[in-house]
Amino acid sequence: MNCHELENIARDVAQDELMDVALREAALSHADSCAYCATRLTDERALTHGLRRLALAAESAEAPARVETLLLAAFREQRSDGAAPVSVSALVANRRWLYVGVGIAAAIVIVVLIALIASRPNREPAAPREAKDSPGTFQAPPSPAPEPQPERRPLARHSPDRERQPIRRANSSPQSGHRVVDNGQSGRDMEIATDFFPLMNREGLAEMDSGQVVRVELPRLALMSFGLPMDMDRAGERIKADVVVGNDGLARAIRFVR
Amino acid sequence: MTQPAIPSDLDLLRLVMAGDEDAFTQLYRRRQAGVYRFALQMSGSEALAEDVTQEVFIVLIREAVRYDPNRGSLAAYLYGIARNHVLRRLEQDRPFVRLAESDDETDANASSGTIAGDNPLEELTRNEMIDALRNSILALPAHYREVVVLCDLHEMSYIDAAKVVGCAVGTVRSRLHRARALLIEKMRAGRERGQAADEAKPLRCFA
Repeated sequence: MNCHELENIARDVAQDELMDVALREAALSHADSCAYCATRLTDERALTHGLRRLALAAESAEAPARVETLLLAAFREQRSDGAAPVSVSALVANRRWLYVGVGIAAAIVIVVLIALIASRPNREPAAPREAKDSPGTFQAPPSPAPEPQPERRPLARHSPDRERQPIRRANSSPQSGHRVVDNGQSGRDMEIATDFFPLMNREGLAEMDSGQVVRVELPRLALMSFGLPMDMDRAGERIKADVVVGNDGLARAIRFVR
Repeated sequence: MTQPAIPSDLDLLRLVMAGDEDAFTQLYRRRQAGVYRFALQMSGSEALAEDVTQEVFIVLIREAVRYDPNRGSLAAYLYGIARNHVLRRLEQDRPFVRLAESDDETDANASSGTIAGDNPLEELTRNEMIDALRNSILALPAHYREVVVLCDLHEMSYIDAAKVVGCAVGTVRSRLHRARALLIEKMRAGRERGQAADEAKPLRCFA
């Protein structure tokens, strides 16, 4: 036997496991003549001895009685509910649920904070104000579209496909293109919007690879210029509109929002 | 006079699935200690071991039908569930550094060291050695630790351990070989540190 062969069976020899007697004799004989393997075998025996003592020390360890009580309650509940899953109420003592609860509570707080921050610009008075860009968004030069009270929103909030497809469809049936716009707030704040109307030709639209939607207010008369019906009694009022501004600062499309 | 037949795990599980509470109690009492010890030795945390034991048997209550006797023993199945829960919990708790055992436990170890053996100092040394070994096992990477716990502490066969871990028998064997080599290295390093400290002590005294 050589050192490599002994290495492979060192654990079995150290643990006195059932093995071929000749193999064991060969291993012991080799260890007698090889200082390295003798040390290796001694170390293996010491480790085996330590592990056995460790196993013995833990022999009496078992789950506390309360676990059995809880499980029996869960079993009874499961049995009474038929195939229904075990109720979480039976596991109140389980710390995991505490962690989950804390995590959910933290998530709710974060969502509420984000919602508050997101809704803040919409609550500002209609007085003239400067456009506010979110960090990292493009600061566009003044748009050629009329924008007395711009309110910028990054285009990234809408997928590019969702934004571009309506622009193409708008040429065919702008009248029927009303849609509900999710402005990221609660359902009662849902807005109804027309499709986007292109403000430049197809080549100009194709050049835009990114940009942002800017919320503006226009005289209602602007509806007429896009062929939309308008109540003449309210011609003096203003209407909200979203203007798509490319990263070159040019307005590409517009939609009206109610 | 014949001894009453001891029902197998599978017999008990069938009764459990039929809603027999006594069978569940019997099965739980038969298997809980192994599951609890496995989780304890894998994590070093009694709280985690308690939670994992609870979760393992909750899974058994809910999804006993998922156990396939052709794929291994019920014990191996329960160990496998426990392993998954332990690893998940350890992954979740990774940012937290494990502190020393509680004072109660330390006191218990110390007191057991003073009264258990004929030679208290020898016993204390042995307890220290066991503590060091326990900590060395806990410091092993999880895939090495689990084979040491299963094969060396729970005396599970390579085949059963492979079923628990979900890998080939050869993988278990090679991991165990590597894990034991790492433990031996740590034991040697500990011995050398101890010898160095013993040699340094007189020098410090006379310095």
